[in-house]
Amino acid sequence: MKSYDVIVIGGGLQGSSCAYQLSKRGHKVAIIEQNDVASGTASHTDGYVGFSEKAPGIDALQGWHSVKLYHELQHELSYEIEFEPTGFMYVCETEREFAAASDYAKKIRDQGFDMTVIDPKEMCELEPNLAPDLVGGILNKSDGLANPYRVVFAFVNEAKRNGADVYTHTTVTDIKRNAKGEVEGVVTDRGDFLAPKVVNACGVWAPFIGKMVGLEIPIEPRKGMLLITEKAEPVTQSIEVLEFGYWLAKFFADFKRPVSELVEKHNVCLNIETTMSGNTVVGGCRLFKGYDIKSEYEIMQAIAERAIRFYPMLKDMHCIRSFGGVRPFCLDHLPIVSGVDEVPGFYIAAGHEGDGVALAPITGLLIAQIISGEETPFDASPLAWKRFEGVDLATLAEHP
Amino acid sequence: MSLNYDDDMFVCRCEEVTVGEVRQAISDGAIDVVGVKRRTRAGMGLCQGRTCERLVQQILAQELGKSPAEVGSSSVRPPVRPITFGALAGGDF
Ligand SMILES: Cc1cc2nc3c(=O)[nH]c(=O)nc-3n(C[C@H](O)[C@H](O)[C@H](O)COP(=O)(O)OP(=O)(O)OC[C@H]3O[C@@H](n4cnc5c(N)ncnc54)[C@H](O)[C@@H]3O)c2cc1C
Repeated sequence: MKSYDVIVIGGGLQGSSCAYQLSKRGHKVAIIEQNDVASGTASHTDGYVGFSEKAPGIDALQGWHSVKLYHELQHELSYEIEFEPTGFMYVCETEREFAAASDYAKKIRDQGFDMTVIDPKEMCELEPNLAPDLVGGILNKSDGLANPYRVVFAFVNEAKRNGADVYTHTTVTDIKRNAKGEVEGVVTDRGDFLAPKVVNACGVWAPFIGKMVGLEIPIEPRKGMLLITEKAEPVTQSIEVLEFGYWLAKFFADFKRPVSELVEKHNVCLNIETTMSGNTVVGGCRLFKGYDIKSEYEIMQAIAERAIRFYPMLKDMHCIRSFGGVRPFCLDHLPIVSGVDEVPGFYIAAGHEGDGVALAPITGLLIAQIISGEETPFDASPLAWKRFEGVDLATLAEHP
Repeated sequence: MSLNYDDDMFVCRCEEVTVGEVRQAISDGAIDVVGVKRRTRAGMGLCQGRTCERLVQQILAQELGKSPAEVGSSSVRPPVRPITFGALAGGDF
């Protein structure tokens, strides 16, 4: 039987990052992935890398650290990850949104990070293709974009160079534990693997792995969809643009905008960027619909409608492809990144919702530091499993 | 059937992917059309693989000693052909 120091379940963004950081520290690591690496949400996602989608506090802090890591990783990894610090802009359609955005920008600045308020004139200078009737926006210059598949391939390649083994098309079906309840390895459809430490990096599927050790992990799939344009003139000027309603809708389920019934029904908010490949990626929506990732025409229609509202030039541009994906939404909007006291040897690195590309570097680093007994760059206890202590997770109502 | 394509021959013209790049993707772990697509962008362009998918299948089948059916095909996703955002927004699909 093969034996390792640490087994990472899941070859997606978090799993590959954990494996890279662990192997770099000399741990003998195996990644076990049920399909190909980068085949889960990692291949049905956008590539925005920043902290601007996060709430002020620990969320923005971990995001900031992760972006900083991206700046280093682009040189450290031998495989091109197409990271580009493009900058980031939130645009506001109404005075109410602008007031909320300005308040948010102030909180982020108070934390010591960059976020400036800009007026419509500055907005249109930076983004000449934007609709001219918007109220204002906020801007940050350190956020950027990366190519999510390439990030996974880069981490996996580097981990392999450090001696890690990667088992694809191998599904974990159970966790082996001894009489004391300590982790001893995993059971898969291709045999057993031994390790005293196992990391659950299964994204939206993390709850299934949790059940194997008696944990109710409060993660649910939250669907998104993206439309891809033909390669053409850039729509955004190498900057990622979101409507601020996106942020408000993420944190406040009852937030209402002056939009059509269709846009409302599918919770569609604009996010857009022209990528290095010359295609423009246009989204998106946030919906609880189980694990279904199929492209839905009505959602495509709503996204197209919303996108034209902000970028009228899109009207005559072609959409060549669409796809859907599911974000690992966690109950309190924070990922779970820690060990689990009640199951010694069991670690969780999951629940990143719409930020798992941005946060993969810091998540992998934290897990490797926790496992190696190193000090972390900031107090990571707000991300720990322990925060659910005393919460009756089993009886929590299904999300609407 | 034996294929003797040169490594520098283009497989996917939309994304300018060569036979050599497809072979490299296979040695990096791709075992199907989708795996090659993710690693090389072959099939991600304007024609969405209509021209190159057969060729990618053939190369995969040859390199891995499998049948073309075993190496799969790309997932079919709307739109079936390029459509303007204006038409999409109008519900015209
Ligand atoms: C439409 C959309 C747009 C997004 N845009 C952005 C963005 O711009 N920026 C950003 O930062 N984030 C974005 N996200 C979110 C981001 O994609 C996710 O947070 C991230 O992919 C989650 O990474 P993960 O490693 O947790 O999960 P995954 O990448 O899904 O990896 C989990 C892996 O576990 C494997 N697995 C599951 N069960 C088992 C098992 N039993 N045995 C073995 N393996 C198993 C799966 O096959 C999978 O490969 C977006 C998401 C969507 C859907």
